[in-house]
Amino acid sequence: MTEPVIAVHGLVKDFGGTRALDSLDLSVARGQVHGFLGPNGAGKSTTIRALLGLLRVDAGTATVFGLDPWADGVAIHRRLAYVPGDVALWPNLSGGETIDMLLRMRGVEPASTARGALLERFDLDPTKRGRAYSKGNRQKVALVAALAAEVDLLVLDEPTSGLDPLMEQVFADCLAERVEAGTTVLLSSHILSEVERLADRVTIIRSGRAVESGTLAELRHLRRSRVVAEVAGTPPDLSLLAGVTDVRVEGQTLTCSVAPEAMSDVLAALTAAGVRSLTSAPPTLEELFLEAYRPEATVTR
Amino acid sequence: MNAYAGTWPLTRAALRRDRVFVTVWVLLLVVVVYASASATVSIYPTAADRVQAAEAINSSPAIVALYGPILDVRSEGELAMTKLTVLYAAFVALLFLVLVRRHTRTEEESGRAELLGATAVGRDAQLAAAVLESGSVAAALGILAAVACVVGGLPVVGSIGFAASWVGVSWVAIGLTAVACQLSASARTCAALAGAGIAVLFGLRVVGDTGPEWVSWLSPFGWSTRLRAWSEPRWWVLLLYAVLGAGLVVSARMLQHGRDLGSGVLAARPGPAHGSPRLADAFALTWRVHRTMVSSWTVGVAALGLVMGAIAPGVGDLLDTDAGRQVIESLGGVGALQDALVAAVLSIAAVVVTCFAIAVVGHGAGDERDGRTEQVLATAVTRSRTFVATAVISLGGASWLLLVTGAGAALGLGMQAGGGAGDLGRFAGAALAQSPAVWVVAAAALLLHAFGSRLAVVAWALLASCFAIGQVGELLKLPDAVTGLSPYTHLPAMPVESFAATPTIWLTAIAAALTVTAWWRYRERDIG
Repeated sequence: MTEPVIAVHGLVKDFGGTRALDSLDLSVARGQVHGFLGPNGAGKSTTIRALLGLLRVDAGTATVFGLDPWADGVAIHRRLAYVPGDVALWPNLSGGETIDMLLRMRGVEPASTARGALLERFDLDPTKRGRAYSKGNRQKVALVAALAAEVDLLVLDEPTSGLDPLMEQVFADCLAERVEAGTTVLLSSHILSEVERLADRVTIIRSGRAVESGTLAELRHLRRSRVVAEVAGTPPDLSLLAGVTDVRVEGQTLTCSVAPEAMSDVLAALTAAGVRSLTSAPPTLEELFLEAYRPEATVTR
Repeated sequence: MNAYAGTWPLTRAALRRDRVFVTVWVLLLVVVVYASASATVSIYPTAADRVQAAEAINSSPAIVALYGPILDVRSEGELAMTKLTVLYAAFVALLFLVLVRRHTRTEEESGRAELLGATAVGRDAQLAAAVLESGSVAAALGILAAVACVVGGLPVVGSIGFAASWVGVSWVAIGLTAVACQLSASARTCAALAGAGIAVLFGLRVVGDTGPEWVSWLSPFGWSTRLRAWSEPRWWVLLLYAVLGAGLVVSARMLQHGRDLGSGVLAARPGPAHGSPRLADAFALTWRVHRTMVSSWTVGVAALGLVMGAIAPGVGDLLDTDAGRQVIESLGGVGALQDALVAAVLSIAAVVVTCFAIAVVGHGAGDERDGRTEQVLATAVTRSRTFVATAVISLGGASWLLLVTGAGAALGLGMQAGGGAGDLGRFAGAALAQSPAVWVVAAAALLLHAFGSRLAVVAWALLASCFAIGQVGELLKLPDAVTGLSPYTHLPAMPVESFAATPTIWLTAIAAALTVTAWWRYRERDIG
């Protein structure tokens, strides 16, 4: 098995009195598109900045390509491209100058890249000055600079913020092409549909801690299904079973939430009661994420 | 909705935002006023002393060029406030340039103006609030300056007249900056335009005060002397400031109505679609960001040097009074007097050029806060290189500007008096010799930045303190331990005095130590 491109174990970062990262774990395998989800202020950007060697961490380890970002930042940076969440441009530099400069700073000659094609696909005018771009266009400048050349790793911090749906689609296409070519992607976002569409695996982070990690299918599996059954006889009292909640009975119809491990018991009880119809729906992703995002105190397990 | 809706809360917010900065600047000015007033009263107790001193000043075009003439040689107040009436009025103008720009164009460039504009704030409110806020600051400064004069022992009516001239200059500076801030979408360009405007007005006065007097009537700085605050004040001169200031503010409002929020009257030209192959590392980027500032500063200090150099040869012809001859003898002849002028200009240039050095560091700090540095550091560029690029442009640029000032003075002198290459080498060397003091303050700015990008602004307070120490230290007879805190006080006044290796080496060593510490710290800290 090859070493993961990004490996983070027990990462801790304090800013003054507040703990931004609280023993965070994260692992991104080669060629993977890893969704990094969390509400605002969860620590996504802090993690990314630690991975880029911009922050010194207080405890734990983080490696990128097996190297320490703090000590070997430049060696790592040669192999990655980064799009910050809030792109600030140099007010006097044109978009084209900025793109070429960022590429050259990574050691890439712009003429040898897909820069021109990308400018066209993103419908971006490279002659405008930095201060004249709208938020979406600033984002495009950073995206073109990041996606133009082949890299081993793309670090994208909320890359589509400010883009219209059409441009989001262009971004998705471009990203897919990069992934095809073997690029690993860390995609931070709080937009669920984006991650659902693009990512293979997901880590959900809350208050500086990874609360869930796995493929979307796995995450779904961890969650309760909504069961609606109509029985011929008396509805059984399912509330006594472990892993079953929210039981409601209306006449012959019974609805409840069932944890995966309680499903067979529920089915047995329903069968015994003479089940006539049965639907079991997995949680929607919306529910999944809302539960993960909910602050600690209100989470019911 | 009323176009001025929200003006009052915005004004209060602006006053609150500026409370530290304005207090420091105003207090510094007022302390210098008090120190000058009280020192003059005690240094020149009799009318004869004052006449002698005033005639000496009037007979030196160099001093007249910098500080303006003394119209009534018997007046105690005019002698005491000569420097403050003209040269310090320029620092007063600078304060209002900073204030007005900060609440107009800078707000627009950052997008905050748009945020506010979408609330229940009228479209004229932000400009009105900026004018109102700075207008109140000007009034407060005027009152405090008048009080400081009176407490320092000067006559009441004259004190009020002098303070009114400061308020008048403030008004013009407010209007001028308000107009400049309509012209370009870039806050930096607007500051350059307003600064150039103030420099031109000051230059007109220099020309008028040393040549045809009517030219001085074209400049508010010239009005300040011709108000004759200290003897038979011409109060109607105050109307000139008021009319010009109001006219400029009204023009600014009209210009603002003719443009969109966030844009300038002068349309931004499109940039190149491709980057230059040289724009590929931190040095090239820092240079690219600052090259316009370096060029405009170069033009500015070259002009300063040229004008001062060109004035210098007139010194001998005009000295036909006893007092003048005495001054010459005590300084060692006409040639020495020319040198004294150059030395005086260079000591001011050293402080002015430090502003450039601090601005470069402040820009680096701003790049970090806004997230631009982060993008550069996520490429193959090292932190060391980013830091060194800023340090080199800041410290090296400052020395370059000093060199240009010195060379400009030599050229100006050469054009008038036909001096040779000897002056060029001498003046350029004298100018460069000021570098170590500039480096110490610039290196302190780097160190502050290295401890946190938000600390970099403290360097301005540091420079202001050093400058204040240099200005009031002698007047208030402060102990050496205090005046010695300013690096500028340690260097000899070349070319009058000869080069001194000891302070040069010490200051250079201190600057180097500060820079290296800053470099080390910058590599160790969190970015952003």
